[in-house]
Amino acid sequence: MSAESFTVTIAKDLEDLIPTYLKNRRQELETLRSALSAGDFEQLRQVGHRMRGVGDSYGFGKITLLGKRIEDGAKGTDRAGIEASIAEYDQYLAGLKVVYE
Amino acid sequence: MSDLAAGQAAQGEFRVLVVDDDADMATFLAHLLAGEGIRTEIAGDGSAALAKIRLAPPDLVLCDVLMPGLSGFDICKKLKDNAATALIPVVLLTALEDHDSRVRGIEAGADDFIAKPVRREELVARVRTLRKLHQTRRELEARRENEERMQRESLRRTFLRYISPRVADQLLDGRIDTTGAFRNLSDRAGVVALFADLRGFTHLSETVPPSNVVPMLNAFFTELTAAAHEHEGTVFSMAGDSLLVGFNVPVPQPDAAERAVAAGRSMIRRFAPIARHWLARHGLAAGVGVGIEAGDVVVGNVGAPSFMSYTIIGDAVNVAARLMQIAAANEILVGPRALLSLGRLLGRSTALDRREVALRGKAEPVQVVVLRVVPE
Repeated sequence: MSAESFTVTIAKDLEDLIPTYLKNRRQELETLRSALSAGDFEQLRQVGHRMRGVGDSYGFGKITLLGKRIEDGAKGTDRAGIEASIAEYDQYLAGLKVVYE
Repeated sequence: MSDLAAGQAAQGEFRVLVVDDDADMATFLAHLLAGEGIRTEIAGDGSAALAKIRLAPPDLVLCDVLMPGLSGFDICKKLKDNAATALIPVVLLTALEDHDSRVRGIEAGADDFIAKPVRREELVARVRTLRKLHQTRRELEARRENEERMQRESLRRTFLRYISPRVADQLLDGRIDTTGAFRNLSDRAGVVALFADLRGFTHLSETVPPSNVVPMLNAFFTELTAAAHEHEGTVFSMAGDSLLVGFNVPVPQPDAAERAVAAGRSMIRRFAPIARHWLARHGLAAGVGVGIEAGDVVVGNVGAPSFMSYTIIGDAVNVAARLMQIAAANEILVGPRALLSLGRLLGRSTALDRREVALRGKAEPVQVVVLRVVPE
């Protein structure tokens, strides 16, 4: 199955910031996986909360959406829901294409 | 000036401190503000933020709420509870639907909120508004400071008519306890009164053209006033060719009598070059006669509502005036009560020229000391 592609248009003036931002998101993905393995829902809630606040600020609405799901899932200790959101986050980052204008 | 004030940003510059433990968010906010020409600093936690604020208070704090250690509420409350930082606007970054956080933020003293995720337009609009408010506040502060400076200068000029510049500055700076200073007429105070006048004034007014008399008197009073202020005396009146100076009033001077004698000597010495000039130019022999006495007097503002003088009234003043009349040119006559305070200065020297003088209004002659001053 070919990876799904997600094209996001970001303001041109943020171009210099995006590579670091996305690199940090990939690290964040690993943090989420580790926290889920450890059953650390407090950390999952904190990371989800942060994703929610920062994602759409940069223009990545999907990250905000996934962050909210993870935060809410952590509050309800919804392991399966969080696992699905993490997988979706992985796919999103893998297929992400950024266009600046 | 406090450390905080010393660290205050230069006039016109607007500095923002972004406090967020998420480096991506902090970088994003700093980037947007830089686009507005705003200098931004970043603190990754509450302790770092407070340290930066102590060092150089910013004009605005943009602060995340949920952070490890001190929360945004804690930081806000600390800033608002401190008079030195209470006026720095704090904007909290909260989730739009997080009403509880907003209520807690208001309780902590937050000035505004920005919803996360942050909308560029909203951030820029709020910061622009706060910047305008900040500039208006600075302009008002500058205007108020200027008015205060002008009022102080006006007050200083008024004080300088009576007291030395040093005492005036000390009074205005609150370095002198003004309790009891500038007393009402009902108050009595122990003062040392010094009267000085010009020997040869009658001759001067008869021989010198009237147009020259005023400048000559001004030169005389200028030197005598400077001598009085040199020793921190208060000039109470100038009339004709005489000058009344008080010591230990309006501020306490434990060495008031010594100051009065030193001021009298200084008056004679300061006037000497002028006397030499008058002698050479007008053939006029002139000098200064001084009378000093101590005692309790009434201190206050005397006159009509439309014209008042801050003055001293009492026997010590009358005796000083009469001693001045008796004093020859370049002589200081010190009255008996002033002498009591001058032990250290004059000692019990038998070499002193002691004289008994009869004073109008006094049944018994009084013993005075005559100090002759050799003008240098």
